[in-house]
Amino acid sequence: MGRYIIRRILQAIPLLFFLTVGMYLLIHLLPGGADAVLFNPHLTAAARAGLRARMGLDDPGYVQYFKWLGSALTGNFGYSFNTNEPVSDILGRRFPATLELFGSALTLALILAILLGVISAVRQGTATDYTLTVISYFGIAMPVFLLGLFAQDIFGVQLQWLPTSGTGNYGTALPPLDAFVDHVRHLILPMVVLAVAFIAGWSRYMRSSMIEVVKQDYMRTARAKGVAPVPLLFRHALRNAVIPLITVVALDFGAVAGGATITEGVFAWPGMGLLFIDSLDRRDYPILIAMLMLGAVFVITFNLIADILYAVMDPRIRYS
Amino acid sequence: MDISEQLNATNVTADEVEPFLELTPALVQKRRSQGRIIFDRFLRNRAAIGGAVFLVLLLLFCVLGPLFWRVDPTQTNLLNVSATLASPSPAHPLGTDDVGRDVLARAMAGGRVSLLVGLSSMLMAILLGIGIGAFAGFYGKAIDNLLMRFTDVILAVPLYLLLFVLSASFTDGTPKSVIILIAIFGWTYAARLVRGEFLALKEREFVLASRTIGAGNLRLMFRHMLPNAAGPIIVNATLLIGTNIILESVLSYFGFGIKPPDASWGSMIEVGQGLFDVDPWLVAIPGLLVFLTVLSLNLVGDGLRDALDPYMTER
Repeated sequence: MGRYIIRRILQAIPLLFFLTVGMYLLIHLLPGGADAVLFNPHLTAAARAGLRARMGLDDPGYVQYFKWLGSALTGNFGYSFNTNEPVSDILGRRFPATLELFGSALTLALILAILLGVISAVRQGTATDYTLTVISYFGIAMPVFLLGLFAQDIFGVQLQWLPTSGTGNYGTALPPLDAFVDHVRHLILPMVVLAVAFIAGWSRYMRSSMIEVVKQDYMRTARAKGVAPVPLLFRHALRNAVIPLITVVALDFGAVAGGATITEGVFAWPGMGLLFIDSLDRRDYPILIAMLMLGAVFVITFNLIADILYAVMDPRIRYS
Repeated sequence: MDISEQLNATNVTADEVEPFLELTPALVQKRRSQGRIIFDRFLRNRAAIGGAVFLVLLLLFCVLGPLFWRVDPTQTNLLNVSATLASPSPAHPLGTDDVGRDVLARAMAGGRVSLLVGLSSMLMAILLGIGIGAFAGFYGKAIDNLLMRFTDVILAVPLYLLLFVLSASFTDGTPKSVIILIAIFGWTYAARLVRGEFLALKEREFVLASRTIGAGNLRLMFRHMLPNAAGPIIVNATLLIGTNIILESVLSYFGFGIKPPDASWGSMIEVGQGLFDVDPWLVAIPGLLVFLTVLSLNLVGDGLRDALDPYMTER
């Protein structure tokens, strides 16, 4: 088991290395990249050359790369073109909001997907199954921003049940409990909209996985030995059926850095996705590159976690 | 003629060889080609037929529609206030948008763009994916490792982030750049698929047989092995069109990709979202079109998957 983990970690390292090289090349390819600081038209040629030498832009490529890598590894991603704040500070400020939205949406999606998938599988072929399948098709085909717009209109404007954007009411200072409730009210709509797409895909996956498990011989044996249907479902079938789904969930969780971008854009939720869109409009490249890097690290980390989880839950994998 | 004579005979006409057929009519089934069997299985899936019908109608709407409805989708009309955000009328069956452009014409033009981008990027992505996957799966070991590491690098970067950054910097509003951009991200699943199929097919006897009569590597890969892997590839290709259409509309929605005045369903939604309370149809029409198109493509793709499934017994 330990050897498997070490092997996977060792495989992830060259991947990370290639990624840093790719990011570095991307910085130099994007317009307004490394040389952007020198676009000041008032600089004389001599001053510009001196500035380039002092900033190390005349060093050979690999020297620049290792310098950049060194500072990136210590968390120094440079300064925003817009506000001159350190990029890591900005990212640190925005990350909790995204984590909150993404985490709650995925948790809700996981619970509902397992529930709906199991119901669909147990009642395979009936009207319930058919309805749930139709709904999940709708969920897969519906673009997130469209669903967000419709949800905002129906629940925010027409019914006036929920607020349509932001994380809380500005302007009035509410007592802590009311502030918390207000925050939750703001969270509900984007969370549900984000969860829908995941629920649609995962529940179909859960359904087919469950159907496959229920057909196995050991299920029939357990039933023949007298296990009641409901404990049979939960203790025997669900445990095995949920394994591939959990790995898919772990993989999807890896998209946390950019996965909520569209939802945050529609609902003006101040997380990393919205930061990304704003920086994109302003061509604020240090933030963009740092977010790409961070996103890639998250994806690779969660790929690793998914593999390890799979090995933990399914012992057959460890020995392959 | 008995059997031994038939086996060794030459110059035998058809009626001499097969007299037995008339003696046992009950055992003779009408022979259907493989394609026909798949087609019949597809036809049993009503949802898939619905999807296919919608796609055909959409194609007619977008491609032939402009021949009948000759209104310029980029022609603005700011003469008077009533010309903008107009309600449906004989002159503009679906109304006009905020600068007076006809929504029906824009829906057709946007559909053309979406279908063009979706199909072209799918073709590019599938070709790339097949190429990379075939070489990786066929040669195995070092080449496989290298190509799959490369695939992992592409997959590791969050899709939307990289897509937005690249489209903000490199696209110029034409469909061609959007097609190339989307194709760059779409080939990975097909590559994995083809690689997996080829790894399995490599061990089959027909590959060994072809090799012994002198087939070269390329011929083996593309003439013998690829047709056997065609089923999952076709299913993936169909579903990929839907994914690419959504990607294109997301790009246009955020202002990258196809920009106004060129029509695209995504940019129509973006324009209409601010006017949702005044005229919800500005969002609803392109939105419904995107949704129904992707839904139909998914249904057709699933129908194809069921029809091509070799383990599904004949009903």
